[in-house]
Amino acid sequence: MTGPVVRSSGRPVVWRPRASVETLRARSAIVDRVRRFFADREVLEVDPPLLQPGANLDHGVTPMRVGDHYLPTSPEHALKRLVAAYRQDVWTLAPAFRAGERGMRHQPEFRMIEWYRLGWDDVRLADETVALLHEITGLPGPIEHLAWRDAWTRAGLDPDAVQAADGFSREERLDLLLTERVEPLLGRSCWTILTDYPASGAAQARLRTDDAGRAVAARFELYRDGIELANGYHECCDAAELRARHQAELPLHPGCSLDESFHACLAEGFPDCAGVALGFDRAVMLALGLPDLASTMV
Amino acid sequence: MTSIPISDVSKGAKLIFDNYPWLVVEVNFVKPGKGNAFYKTRVKNLITGNVLEKTIRGGEKVETADVADTDMTYLYSDANGLVFMNQTDFEQLTVPAKVIGDSKDFLLENMECQVTLWNGEPIQIRLPNTVTLEIEYTEPAVKGDTQSRVMKPATLKGTGASIPVPIFCAIGDKIMINTETREFKGRTDK
Repeated sequence: MTGPVVRSSGRPVVWRPRASVETLRARSAIVDRVRRFFADREVLEVDPPLLQPGANLDHGVTPMRVGDHYLPTSPEHALKRLVAAYRQDVWTLAPAFRAGERGMRHQPEFRMIEWYRLGWDDVRLADETVALLHEITGLPGPIEHLAWRDAWTRAGLDPDAVQAADGFSREERLDLLLTERVEPLLGRSCWTILTDYPASGAAQARLRTDDAGRAVAARFELYRDGIELANGYHECCDAAELRARHQAELPLHPGCSLDESFHACLAEGFPDCAGVALGFDRAVMLALGLPDLASTMV
Repeated sequence: MTSIPISDVSKGAKLIFDNYPWLVVEVNFVKPGKGNAFYKTRVKNLITGNVLEKTIRGGEKVETADVADTDMTYLYSDANGLVFMNQTDFEQLTVPAKVIGDSKDFLLENMECQVTLWNGEPIQIRLPNTVTLEIEYTEPAVKGDTQSRVMKPATLKGTGASIPVPIFCAIGDKIMINTETREFKGRTDK
């Protein structure tokens, strides 16, 4: 045996997998359970391509570029093309890539489970998402439905009263308060389904009117132990509306271009459906009680 | 001056904010799924010792501080301050007395210390965790009671500082002192 391999800079070369072999066995067993979950529900497993002709354009999510292509920040575009073409429920467990994200609960490369249900809305899909997470983690607990605005109230905050401060814009302050004060209170001994997002945070969700007559997004996020695990929509099927939203987002993503194949599939008539993306590594982390995302990964 | 992306900063890094050097004690990446990314750090001011939380936008750059720890031997003090010698190149360095602060109470000639330099200027002196000094004066010892928690003041030889010691200690005893807590740790024959 010789010592560790050292770079010319003097730093050791890190080669050991981050996950233990026990973790990898447990993760593999979870994948089996996920496959059975979707097979029982007759949702078709598909393998989306990883090279996209255009970029996913989600707010605050930076795609990586490879040659003339972009890596998916989620498998959304490929799966929606399948939904549009075959009117078929589909699911995948696929890699996703997001530049600049690295921390306890973030990695620039990770895996997502994403699936689409034709004729479903966000409420029904949120329940199925909890069912899958229950299957993955074994964690019990009631389901809590909480409107986005009420989550802020729970934290003693009024999102409308948040102002720019400390050199941060209002939008940045909202994000900071969300992560510091609001999210930690969600999913405590339960599955919290956060609903009724403000229209400005609709992303790819359709809009509807809440009980108070406000325009809200038919979007949900699922939390457990303060950690966001899934994000879903009753999908916006209006091609012009989605193109406008992506066009508005485009200036915030220098060097990115629209994924025209995605917009073309919408323009030909996209069926009424709901879709959700679930951070698979986070779910494994939760299931196995691991301290960070990296320790679930090779 | 060297700038690095905040994403390259990890615990233990030394950065410059507000014209002070800071040690990064903790760094956490936070980001809503579809929102702005931030690095939330806890940093310690290497000169004042203040600790504060600092939030930095993802994608921003930060300035690194040229801070290095050097092993040096304390030689003597003069009107300009305390004179140390670098153990590697034998260069001498004069450190203003205010940099060492209260630790001077336990500083003896030939003691090996760690001197923190920022841009070549001394900003912090760290004594060994435990030092041995001799008691120059204290009230007569109470014999036999070696478990006592009752304390009395003792003056230390060489520095003139006073610290509480157990009542069984006597003049001429060599005692070990924790330089962080300034507490008596025990007697020694050395």
